[in-house]
Amino acid sequence: MAPTENDIAIVGFAQLPPERRTNLTESDLVLRSTREVIAQVGIDKSEIGFTVSGSCDYLSGQGFSFVQNTDAYGMVPAINESHVEMDGAFAMYEAYVRLLQGDIDIAMAVGVGKNSNSDPSTLFTVEFDPYYLTPLGTDTWTLAALQARALIDSGKATERDFAEVVARNRANAKSNPFAQVKGDYSVDELLAADYVRNPLRRHDLPPTTDQAAAVILARGKRAYDLCERPAWITGIDHRIEAHLPTVRKDITTSVSTRLAAEAAGVGKGPIDVAEIHAPFSFQELILRESLGLDASTEVNPSGGALAAHSVMTVGLIRVGEAANQIIKNGKNRTLAHTTSGPCLQQNLVCVMEGDQ
Amino acid sequence: MADTVQEFVFNLTFPFTRTLGSTLSTFSSALAQGQIIGVRTGGRVIAPPLEYDPDTAADSGTDWVRVGPKGTVSTWTWVPEPTNLHPLDHAFGFAFITLDGADTPMLHLVDTGSESAMAAGMRVEAKLKAPADRVGRIDDIIAFVPAADPSPSEGAGEPFVAPEENDITEMDAYCDLQYVDNASPTTIMWAKALMEGRIIGQKCPQCDRTIVGPRGMCSVCAIELDESHIVEVPGRGVVSNFTIVTPTPYPGQTETEPFARCSILLDGADAVIAQQEILDVPVSEIRVGIHVEVVWAPENERSAADIDNRSRGSGGDIIVGWRTTGEPDEPAARYLDRMM
Ligand SMILES: [Zn+2]
Repeated sequence: MAPTENDIAIVGFAQLPPERRTNLTESDLVLRSTREVIAQVGIDKSEIGFTVSGSCDYLSGQGFSFVQNTDAYGMVPAINESHVEMDGAFAMYEAYVRLLQGDIDIAMAVGVGKNSNSDPSTLFTVEFDPYYLTPLGTDTWTLAALQARALIDSGKATERDFAEVVARNRANAKSNPFAQVKGDYSVDELLAADYVRNPLRRHDLPPTTDQAAAVILARGKRAYDLCERPAWITGIDHRIEAHLPTVRKDITTSVSTRLAAEAAGVGKGPIDVAEIHAPFSFQELILRESLGLDASTEVNPSGGALAAHSVMTVGLIRVGEAANQIIKNGKNRTLAHTTSGPCLQQNLVCVMEGDQ
Repeated sequence: MADTVQEFVFNLTFPFTRTLGSTLSTFSSALAQGQIIGVRTGGRVIAPPLEYDPDTAADSGTDWVRVGPKGTVSTWTWVPEPTNLHPLDHAFGFAFITLDGADTPMLHLVDTGSESAMAAGMRVEAKLKAPADRVGRIDDIIAFVPAADPSPSEGAGEPFVAPEENDITEMDAYCDLQYVDNASPTTIMWAKALMEGRIIGQKCPQCDRTIVGPRGMCSVCAIELDESHIVEVPGRGVVSNFTIVTPTPYPGQTETEPFARCSILLDGADAVIAQQEILDVPVSEIRVGIHVEVVWAPENERSAADIDNRSRGSGGDIIVGWRTTGEPDEPAARYLDRMM
């Protein structure tokens, strides 16, 4: 396609190796990931017109951590900067919208999460409905397990299907140098493990990961100065459902994902590769169906979120991986997906295409 | 170095009082009286009630409906090892429970004693706290237990008449989270030097700025700085800014009188160290430009335990504070335009 000045592409992506426990701070991680992506596209940091990050104070346990993290941008003279208390994929969406204003050509989006400081079995309790969920100690694993049980009872999937998702993602992750959990596992071996929250076993849950990632976006022809084959964003949409899963009509499907996929134009052509953010194994099954993907789409060649799951970074990595399939791997049309909130409450879908 | 703490535990605990608004106040006040209610909106009964119809965002109104105390489990899970945040200290189930008279389920605990007793379709009933212990919060229901008699709840689906004024309009909540952070290489460098009675910074090879305390990067040039960039700076400098904190009482606040916290620009540094205490100047006389020097704790009393990644430039228990040198105040032009 010949880009217009309103077309925006991912032109660079860098991620740090995922670690179960880093001794670096979030600021250190931001510095290393942003330096790498800036070097990759060969610009000076002063050429970046807008910088936006996604991170969460509650994860690292540090108030205003995102302010300290801006040290890593080198903000003298002052820069145009923003932050979302969400995954870096949503920061990328803000960068995309900012570029649409047409007055700048280059933007950078960052995701960072030092997840190892906190306990995932308790941390997210404080982010849920404070009246009906938090006083009960409602945790992420429990909400996912309730959704998984509903999926099984609906007849759409079995525990064996969940284990097959895990085995495939871990096998895919073997060829991903940025995977934390990888290897060959038999489904029977996985099914022999105890439940953490029936019907979910440890391997159905996301790993705990410290990581950062960054992407650079460029507008119009400027993209070609930074990247030989830019990953043009041809559709992007973010939909949100009710926070309480109990008031959603059917938690065995994802209405918000379906709506976001339609708005992003997923069905307008074949999707070569989809990078899906399914924190819990079975959610990949729900998401594949709601995204409208068929067997011709390769799903999560990176190993997906089961291979590394740094909350606040994992979604942006899906964007970067899907973009790299176009930039480096010759694919024509790819999809990145990110979720947030209990039982797939929020979903972002981004479709990217390369020049043919 | 054994005296340098490599890992620190941080407890984020605080009480919180939430106002409930009219819908949740009605629910809470009824629950404290032992009655669970829902609200009829958009043709269905939502229980527990919400202020808005999640489908249309319209005001849910005040068409209150009695629901429960019995209900039916639609989906469930099992918690084999409860955390400190769960209300029960033994293994229990969580479930979506559609109460009799309601169309949407409520998430709550199911206390069956055994995972094998859990099943979709099982009939359960609410087990409430004793009336004197109820505060109108969702955990006034201790848990649901298997219903002795599976027949429909009496009175479920009938209208509930709310009182003119609700008894309960607020809810106490409590945050209790634990973090375990580990000292970054930069934090360890800083703490080690302090233990030896040295204050260090890092000098950026690109812009020549000296950053104290070290932060592992130049925050002007956005480049990494490491051990090779360490420079020692003297324990003398100038107060470049200050604030006077008038303590308000909150849980954990130990101060009662106004106190000053100062930024100090050490001689030869380009970044201030913040949150410092001046020992020998009354709060009313603190001003920018005062020359100060460091007061070290005696060597045998120094501890790096409080020096973590969150308190960049903090002297912990190693630096007691700063005292004035008696030199004439420094003119402002000499310490303006410095990095935080
Ligand atoms: Zn510099």
